[in-house]
Amino acid sequence: MAAIKAGEEYGFFTDTSICIGCKACEVACKEWNQLQGDSPAFLDDSYDNTGSLDAQNWRHVKFIEHVPDQSATAGNGTAWLMMSDVCKHCKHASCMEVCPTGAIIRTEFNTVFIQQDVCNGCRNCIAACPYSVIGMNQETGTAHKCTLCYDRLQGGLEPACAKACPTQSIQFGPLAELQQAADVRLATLHSQGVTQAQLYGRDDKVYGGLNAFFLLMDKPETYGLPNADNAKLPSRNDLGGYLGAAVTAVLAVIGGLVAFRRRGMP
Amino acid sequence: MTNHWRDIRHADLILINGANPAEAHPVGFQWFMRAKLDRGAKLIHADPRFTRTSAVADMYLRIRTGSDVAYFGGLINHVLQNNLFHDEYVRNYTNASFVVKDGYAFSDGLFSGYDPDKRTYNIATWAYESNARTGYASRDLTLQHPRSVFQLMKAHYSRYTPEVVSSITGIPVDDFKKVADLVGQMGKPDKVMTIVYAVGLTHHTTGGQLIRSGAVLQLLLGNMGRPGGGMNAERGHANIQGNTDHAISWELLPGYLRIPAPGQKTIADYVAASAPKKSDPHSWNFFGTNYSKFMVSTLKGWYGDAANKDNEFAFNFVPKPAQNSSWMSIFDQALKGKMEGLILSGMTAASIGPDSNQVRQALGNLKWLVVMDPLPTTSSEFWHAPGVDASQVKTEVFMLPTTHWIEKDGSFTNSGRWAQWKDQVLPPEGQARHDHWILADVFQRVKKLYQSQGGKFPDPINSLTFAYKDPAKPELDEIAKEINGKDLATGKQMTSFANLKDDGTTTTGDWIYTGSYLDTGNLMKRRQGIQDPKANDPTGMGFYPNWAWSWPLNRRVMYNRASADLDGKPWDPARPGIAWDGSKWVGDVPDYPATMNPRDPNAYLPFIMNGEGVGRLFSNGMVDGPFPEHYEPVESPVANPLHPNNSASPVAFLYDKAAGRPNRFGTPQEFPYIATSYRLTEHEHYVTQHVPHLVQLQPKPFVEIPYELASQKGIKSGDQVRVSSKRGKVEVLALVTKRLGPMTVAGQKVYQIGIPIHWGYVGVSADSDPSHGRYWLANALTPFVGDANARTPEFKAFLVNLEKM
Amino acid sequence: MVFLAEHFVRSPQWTWYILFYFFFAGIAGGAYLVGTLLRLSGDARDEPAARVAFYVSLPATLICPILLTADLGASWWKFWHMMVDVTPGDTGLNFKYWSPMSVGVWALLLFGFFVTVSAVDAWMRNRGGGIIPMVVNRAFNIIGAIVAIFIASYTGVLLSVSNQPVWSDTWVLGGLFLASGLSGSAALIALLIRNRPEAGFSLGRLHQADGYFSVLELALIIVFFITVGAAGALARELPWLPLWAIAVAGVAGSLVEARGHMRMRAEGGSGTVAGVRLDTVVVSVLVLLGVLALRAAVIFSAQ
Ligand SMILES: Nc1nc2c(c(=O)[nH]1)N[C@H]1C(S)=C(S)[C@@H](COP(=O)(O)OP(=O)(O)OC[C@H]3O[C@@H](n4cnc5c(=O)[nH]c(N)nc54)[C@H](O)[C@@H]3O)O[C@H]1N2
Ligand SMILES: Nc1nc2c(c(=O)[nH]1)N[C@H]1C(S)=C(S)[C@@H](COP(=O)(O)OP(=O)(O)OC[C@H]3O[C@@H](n4cnc5c(=O)[nH]c(N)nc54)[C@H](O)[C@@H]3O)O[C@H]1N2
Ligand code: SF4
Ligand code: SF4
Ligand code: SF4
Ligand code: SF4
Ligand code: SF4
Ligand SMILES: [Mo]
Repeated sequence: MAAIKAGEEYGFFTDTSICIGCKACEVACKEWNQLQGDSPAFLDDSYDNTGSLDAQNWRHVKFIEHVPDQSATAGNGTAWLMMSDVCKHCKHASCMEVCPTGAIIRTEFNTVFIQQDVCNGCRNCIAACPYSVIGMNQETGTAHKCTLCYDRLQGGLEPACAKACPTQSIQFGPLAELQQAADVRLATLHSQGVTQAQLYGRDDKVYGGLNAFFLLMDKPETYGLPNADNAKLPSRNDLGGYLGAAVTAVLAVIGGLVAFRRRGMP
Repeated sequence: MTNHWRDIRHADLILINGANPAEAHPVGFQWFMRAKLDRGAKLIHADPRFTRTSAVADMYLRIRTGSDVAYFGGLINHVLQNNLFHDEYVRNYTNASFVVKDGYAFSDGLFSGYDPDKRTYNIATWAYESNARTGYASRDLTLQHPRSVFQLMKAHYSRYTPEVVSSITGIPVDDFKKVADLVGQMGKPDKVMTIVYAVGLTHHTTGGQLIRSGAVLQLLLGNMGRPGGGMNAERGHANIQGNTDHAISWELLPGYLRIPAPGQKTIADYVAASAPKKSDPHSWNFFGTNYSKFMVSTLKGWYGDAANKDNEFAFNFVPKPAQNSSWMSIFDQALKGKMEGLILSGMTAASIGPDSNQVRQALGNLKWLVVMDPLPTTSSEFWHAPGVDASQVKTEVFMLPTTHWIEKDGSFTNSGRWAQWKDQVLPPEGQARHDHWILADVFQRVKKLYQSQGGKFPDPINSLTFAYKDPAKPELDEIAKEINGKDLATGKQMTSFANLKDDGTTTTGDWIYTGSYLDTGNLMKRRQGIQDPKANDPTGMGFYPNWAWSWPLNRRVMYNRASADLDGKPWDPARPGIAWDGSKWVGDVPDYPATMNPRDPNAYLPFIMNGEGVGRLFSNGMVDGPFPEHYEPVESPVANPLHPNNSASPVAFLYDKAAGRPNRFGTPQEFPYIATSYRLTEHEHYVTQHVPHLVQLQPKPFVEIPYELASQKGIKSGDQVRVSSKRGKVEVLALVTKRLGPMTVAGQKVYQIGIPIHWGYVGVSADSDPSHGRYWLANALTPFVGDANARTPEFKAFLVNLEKM
Repeated sequence: MVFLAEHFVRSPQWTWYILFYFFFAGIAGGAYLVGTLLRLSGDARDEPAARVAFYVSLPATLICPILLTADLGASWWKFWHMMVDVTPGDTGLNFKYWSPMSVGVWALLLFGFFVTVSAVDAWMRNRGGGIIPMVVNRAFNIIGAIVAIFIASYTGVLLSVSNQPVWSDTWVLGGLFLASGLSGSAALIALLIRNRPEAGFSLGRLHQADGYFSVLELALIIVFFITVGAAGALARELPWLPLWAIAVAGVAGSLVEARGHMRMRAEGGSGTVAGVRLDTVVVSVLVLLGVLALRAAVIFSAQ
């Protein structure tokens, strides 16, 4: 890959069809970012004992078991889905939209980054992120998520998770290059009869496009991702919410005026 | 591996049996994915469990553990019956044409020469017929002779019909046929298949034959020696290949020289008993021819001036064990009270051995135990394990803290035989000392004791060469240099083992590493890799000759003479190994004299290492049969459908019985479920129990239970269950999954239960659990029995019962 | 309005501080509006109650920033980052009209001003000396009341402007919080004046207003369940039905009490229609509990 330059758009293409669920990405992220991780707990959810992305887990490998009963299966990643989840670095980022402090910014690499010195822990972004990415660190009182290894990019290094991924399921690079690679991979899979394979976030159908986009082996919902129909920004509810309040206010004021109306002094 | 990791990308078809590379070799697995992504290769994974490898495979076969001989047997039969083998290869590059001596037979599960009392074969009955005229083996290149290997083999495997295979393995007939169709196409010269295996094949009483089955199939398809082909063992720890090369096995000296046997007095005796014998006039028999040179140079390396022609190069210094001393044999001796002390270095016996309760008993029989390890282990702590009354344990335990491999430099030899030098990453912690410094120190002290007090046989100790700058602290680089060997006359490093001599003028520490450390420096440190593929990989085949160093002689694909036809042209020009350019062999480092014209009437046969000069479809090098045959695991729910009278291996050594201890094998009535044990990506045996980040990923011991069986027993994921065998029990959590399921074996419905091996009574999880991991050792369940040849324990197939707690 | 069929969001873990913030914001805004309406619509006999209303809204408002700051946890000292952009290189104030939280902070500041002035004014008037003429005061109150409406309602809109299940599935939360805030503040003022003869005149009128507010609230609760049901998130409310029961009990109490005060007497006080009249204390406490329960039911349902 060419040198990492400010001013270019970077992202991830995560090809779940070749993810082997090894969790190297999860651990590499923790090592680089000095995250302790949550206290150990057996979640009896396939091989996942992390649960979800949060302040201690900026990468999280999901395991979804759909193993059919018969023994020989057309494999190709459909029977046991594995997906290394991460902040999507949305073009239209819900988190950024609602953040009242301006802590969430778009960096010179076009990634979404929470400035720790600015964030004041209001958690509005957590309520907004449709991907359940952000978590609170109680010690720092701030919101945390994948930084897309902002510090590494600034130093010209690729992100730790992509570096550690043994199968190159996580590919890092300039967005345009990744999109091209993804299109080729999808075409190959389709030509091999894996027709349910689909790209997610490659185009602008969800949140204007995702800098961290995916090749999925099933519907987005199967992975717990909003589909194009229900991927909506929080601000969609501004108008309705305020209008509802305004109408109520008018009616209430009328009610009050009626209740307190003068009935003539004795 | 006959080939190497990067080479897997050249395969058209990848058979994975008894291995779970996505979980146990995730980094190497990238090459499987490359084969899939770049050339559309198909991956077929046969495993009792649907694993993370199965998840990305094109086909998954739920196979009963311990039945791969039948699976491979069925494929071999398919290839033979339908003439799908690589004809030219089979005729010229294998021993298919060799004629076997009259008297060889196989019936009711027994080969000729069986002695039921000793439970051994007289393998002399499996010899070739010797040609009266030449004295070598008779051959029939038409392959029609009824006693030709080819015909015997065809008859032997004819029993492995798809139906029989299905009944033994549990793989549905249709699925098996689909795989057979794919495999059958791999005998064409422009196709190549690789077989990848690991301990899912070796951890069986039939382990050796399981691997031979794959090798036989590969020879028939003409896939040995070719890029993208081969029989590839994914090795264990990062340097287990290096360990094996340097004689970690009791029966071997460095470089796979056999350990001398009692009664051998001279080098000549030893070589006569150990070296392969030439059985064809065109065989080079390189190993056999040079055996004495390798041995003498090794002795010279060890004993220096004390080894000379007059004293048979100090051959009498080398121990000549009368008894088997494999892993189980050691603990068997301890159980019998015949062992005083034991040093465990980088190995935790209490967790890893079969029947761990019995192994712990054995440790308790010792006077002293030394554990050399950077971390507390189940062995160093066995005397106060949960449930153990420490006052009852008489063994005195010493813990010598060593550095971890990450705290020292040195070489790792990977599965592909590449010796790669690594640097020290972290400084040693606390009082830890390097293993080699501890051993050097112990050696110096013992030597001093011998010198001051004398002893029965001080010579081997007193004469051992120890020419390091600081004899108390040898450097690994010095040792590597020593292993390469040198010419004593010139003082120069040897460049090739071909130049080693048996006159005492050359040394080596391990002949297969000769050439790794030249006068120019340590070739294992070379790093000319993918920074510049054009310059560093001139053939484009991924050999990267100046990246690290690969034994033998930096050859990347073993037996690569077989990658080209009789004229020296690659079978597949798109994937050449080596090629004859008219005057020399080009490509990889040739496994053949560099300038030998393949059409020279005196040209050697392609496989230079063995006596035949060709690949062995039939072998008399095994103790349990010249052809692989399916035997049931020692504990099996069914009788062998092929020969119920001789169901399990007739020659597997039964330790308990031999030692007069009670039988510890269970019956299907008491223990109705099959179990197998294995690894998870998230943990490395017992070490990572000390690593919080990894403990988080798999925090608790569990067993994987088929959904259907769990439903019957009312077991849900997260429930506490007890799994017990004739030998012990584990009490852990249940993980209920459809990744395991029922199968029909010999007309009977059976279930397999999966048992990850990673837990015990030390580490983060155990420390934070009220039970302290008292019943967390997977090996509490496994049987104390192993492969007839290698005595590798049968960790992968045993019977258990399952209860909800 | 687009509803999300499925949600994949983590909850922000807004719990007790935020619940009480929402409660006090509702009371503060509601009380200010009630005070203003009393002044606008009522006669001089309503003035004492109006002053009580302004008194009520002061502490209710002042506690809000304290609760909000406490909710920030370890970062509490960065509360002011809501207003001032401290991103290196950026300067100026933070104001995002599309983010209710951002608008709300400024509104709270502004409201603090109105509330303080109005409360001080009421205090002075009680001591006989209003500085600001009543006309100006009314105009001031009207503007303040608009901010008050915002304060009482935006917390609901804030919840909706998210991707949380339930919250973002409905547009009624702003109105619902306003109606319940008004109902609660009317009840609270009634409670506070019940033993003040000078303000007694307004007691029945407050209950009656509470009745209207409660009708509104009830209607909005129904719409809430309809919209949430349509979005498929009804199941999330089931565990919180007991809280909803308390909220509805508050509404019912209000309605019963309002009916009891329907026949107003010109000279003050009211006659019963149905003969059922509950004790103001009981009703008011019930209503206030209902206000809290309603907010809790909404907040918790998404978490
Ligand atoms: N993450 C991780 N990686 C490791 C290690 C580790 O501890 N952790 N250990 C290293 C070491 S020392 C070794 S030896 C290797 C071992 O590497 P592997 O052999 O790949 O590891 P296992 O998990 O023991 O077994 C592999 C598979 O064999 C299957 N199996 C069991 N019995 C049979 C059978 O009869 N037939 C077939 N076809 N399959 C069977 C099991 O279900 C399992 O999925 O891994 C190395 N790599
Ligand atoms: N049931 C069942 N049992 C099995 C297996 C199975 O599949 N099933 N697999 C078997 C296999 S293939 C293997 S390889 C064994 C694994 O058995 P072991 O090799 O005993 O397992 P590890 O936990 O890797 O133990 C290595 C020890 O080496 C220490 N160590 C690490 N680096 C160094 C070093 O540089 N110097 C020293 N002195 N110590 C060091 C570690 O701290 C650790 O305690 O288990 C075997 N047992
Ligand atoms: S995924 Fe969530 S946290 Fe990441 S940019 Fe999008 S909205 Fe923000
Ligand atoms: S928690 Fe921090 S990043 Fe998130 S919205 Fe609040 S201030 Fe912004
Ligand atoms: S880009 Fe960096 S911060 Fe983000 S998941 Fe990868 S390693 Fe973690
Ligand atoms: S490192 Fe790569 S292969 Fe492993 S879990 Fe992460 S994405 Fe998947
Ligand atoms: S642990 Fe080391 S040797 Fe094993 S796969 Fe990972 S990188 Fe390779
Ligand atoms: Mo191993």
